[in-house]
Amino acid sequence: MAKITFAIGGIHPSDSKISKNCAIEVLPLPQTVYISMAQHLGAPAKPVVAVGDKVKVGQVIAEPGGFISAFVHSSVSGTVKSIAPRKDLAGNCVVPHIEIAVEGDEWMEGIDTTDTLVTAIPEDKAEILAKIKANGVVGLGGATFPAHVKLAPAKPADYLILNGAECEPYLTSDYRIMLERTKEIVIGAAIMQKALGGCKCVIGIEENKPEAIKAMSAAVAELGYKDMEVLSLMKKYPQGGEKQLINAVTGREVPSGKLPADAGCVVQNVATSLAVYEAVQKNKPLITNTLTITGDCLPVEKQHNYLFRIGVPLSFIAEYAGGVPEAAAKIISGGPMMGKAIANLDATTVKGSSSLLYLGEEATKRQTASACIRCGKCAEACPMGLEPFLLKRLATAGDTDGLEANAVQDCIECGCCLYSCPANIPLLDIIRPAKAQVMGIMRARAAAAKAAAEAAKAAAEAKNNENK
Amino acid sequence: MSSTIIWTIAIIALLGLVLAVVLYLVAEKFKVEEDPRIDEVEKVMPGANCGGCGFAGCRAFADAAVKAPNLDNNFCPVGGNDVMKKVAAILGYEVKEKAPMVAVVRCNGTCENRPKTNVYDGFASCKVKAALYAGDTGCSFGCLGCGDCVAACQFGAITMDPETGLPVVDEEKCTGCGACSKACPKSVIEVRAKGPRGMRMFVSCVNHDKGPAARKACAAACIGCGICAKTCTHGAITLENNVAYIDYSKCKLCRECEAMCPTGAIHGVNFPKPLDKDAIKARIAERQKKAKEAAEAAKAAEAAAAEPVKKEENNG
Repeated sequence: MAKITFAIGGIHPSDSKISKNCAIEVLPLPQTVYISMAQHLGAPAKPVVAVGDKVKVGQVIAEPGGFISAFVHSSVSGTVKSIAPRKDLAGNCVVPHIEIAVEGDEWMEGIDTTDTLVTAIPEDKAEILAKIKANGVVGLGGATFPAHVKLAPAKPADYLILNGAECEPYLTSDYRIMLERTKEIVIGAAIMQKALGGCKCVIGIEENKPEAIKAMSAAVAELGYKDMEVLSLMKKYPQGGEKQLINAVTGREVPSGKLPADAGCVVQNVATSLAVYEAVQKNKPLITNTLTITGDCLPVEKQHNYLFRIGVPLSFIAEYAGGVPEAAAKIISGGPMMGKAIANLDATTVKGSSSLLYLGEEATKRQTASACIRCGKCAEACPMGLEPFLLKRLATAGDTDGLEANAVQDCIECGCCLYSCPANIPLLDIIRPAKAQVMGIMRARAAAAKAAAEAAKAAAEAKNNENK
Repeated sequence: MSSTIIWTIAIIALLGLVLAVVLYLVAEKFKVEEDPRIDEVEKVMPGANCGGCGFAGCRAFADAAVKAPNLDNNFCPVGGNDVMKKVAAILGYEVKEKAPMVAVVRCNGTCENRPKTNVYDGFASCKVKAALYAGDTGCSFGCLGCGDCVAACQFGAITMDPETGLPVVDEEKCTGCGACSKACPKSVIEVRAKGPRGMRMFVSCVNHDKGPAARKACAAACIGCGICAKTCTHGAITLENNVAYIDYSKCKLCRECEAMCPTGAIHGVNFPKPLDKDAIKARIAERQKKAKEAAEAAKAAEAAAAEPVKKEENNG
């Protein structure tokens, strides 16, 4: 049987899942947490607490700042010390953070903190979505898109695809929760299935995680929810990309400029499924997540998978795990392919934090770039079917029209082009700002078109009124 | 044999003649009417095609200048007043003289002032670096040092100083076209008036952080203390987002702000004498003392004027 995977592009980096046998440990509480107001895609949340307020674990401390936004809850109990901008991972100091001094660990009433499994799924769709929204659940696969928005698509979905691919090398947090919180994830998937109106659910897991496939299949069989199956996928990066996973599982292609919902699919990460289970069945807001501490320059006994409270500074986690290793040349938040190098270790963890990755000199060293030899490897590797060498040339020339015509806006920034380039040209680094520029132009144009349409409508109405 | 040669020449000549007539007729028929002044104006332009005027090149500028009703909105920063006078003479317009401009790097973040906090080994482009993160120093507003401005300058007026890691503008070569300012993702470079004999004052910092944070990131940062704004007697200095700004149209080049700045963020360049801080500080102290005395005297006079009224009230 041909192995199941997405049709175009992709690369095969070594998976390096060194920390896969480290069971999840609970991280202790620090003295202070800093909770960011922008831990989701879309508008930043607006604080609803003031300096000096006492908060409990799970209490709402910020409300959504727009349609695409999410509630933020306190992950600790204590006193609000300040609300001020704080430097993020990249060193930019823009987003306000709520600083909370930890005092004890007192939870809000109504949150079920026991381990009892609740298998009965609520019947009411609206109730499920309301609970997901109120508990601030966002997609934990990387983009942190608010889950309640994604789970209410404009047209009915045919597929709910649960993303257990974890195609990024090194990361093992999704793998560990699939082994340790298997049933919760399956129940979470059934809840989302209900919210979407009873579509088919496919749980996609890459074949390099046979234990997870076995455990998840057993849980699906045991719990016996309708229309749910586990699918073993070939190991290929970036299989965890939304559009790639849809293609691998259903064979469908999301058209350029469209959303997965337009192809009748909703993709959610397994960690999101766990968060949905906790939000709906246990009434627990999204205040914890799993984070992997790993890297090629870190001995295996020092590697961990931690259950952390959101807002814990990265430096606290690094110190608790035994400090930053001497050999680390780069510290990365996220996987080695799409993660961001950390310029400021004092930055705080957010809902979507998935790893603290220490990479040594060898793995991170940039080779000197030479001239493009037109071998076309980047175009072959691009999972979106783009031509990175061309986009790079257009970006250097500043040709925004040409970039748009060549679909730079479809780039998912997976880094396959950069990885595959034999001339070591930093293709993605050059394409990324150009993509941002083109998307800005497109948004401005869409806004202008909308304004013009509204003005025309208003003028037509005024004319109608006059005629009357 | 000879008849073949004659025939060949005759046919080729005839063909040439016929085609020449066709070409002439076509050229006459489809002739594009163009104002001849556009060519004339283009001839006097510098021909750099830098786009500093806001048009695609010198010919586009000439075209726009000829079509415009006056020259108020069209100015060639490269050619300056000399070229604009020639353009005005051709078109019969009046030209408003503009002060010559120059690019000014508003960052003090030398390697000494602003220690590196991490190493950037990515693509050497400020645009790319700015898209990735805040930069390899504690300051997230200052110069990134990858030289996008150097690449943008068509006149070879900017070079990177390897010692400070900052761009240096050659005032002789700089035409004030503003290409570097547009290329800088951090908006560190500003095009300012060159000033009389090149003398000008500017705040060499764009850091919006609050005082302590800015100071921690860079020893010569503007900490937004506002002393300069209080000192300035010409109302040229404003304070916004924790950083001071000197309005060059109001600045009288007295250098008082430069003397008073606690971090040395304010720079005065091309002055004939070095800054005598003590003398200027003494001058300011003297003035403030006098002002205080005058204020006190005025207050006393006011009180004296108010006193008889009070007495009357008491009497009543």
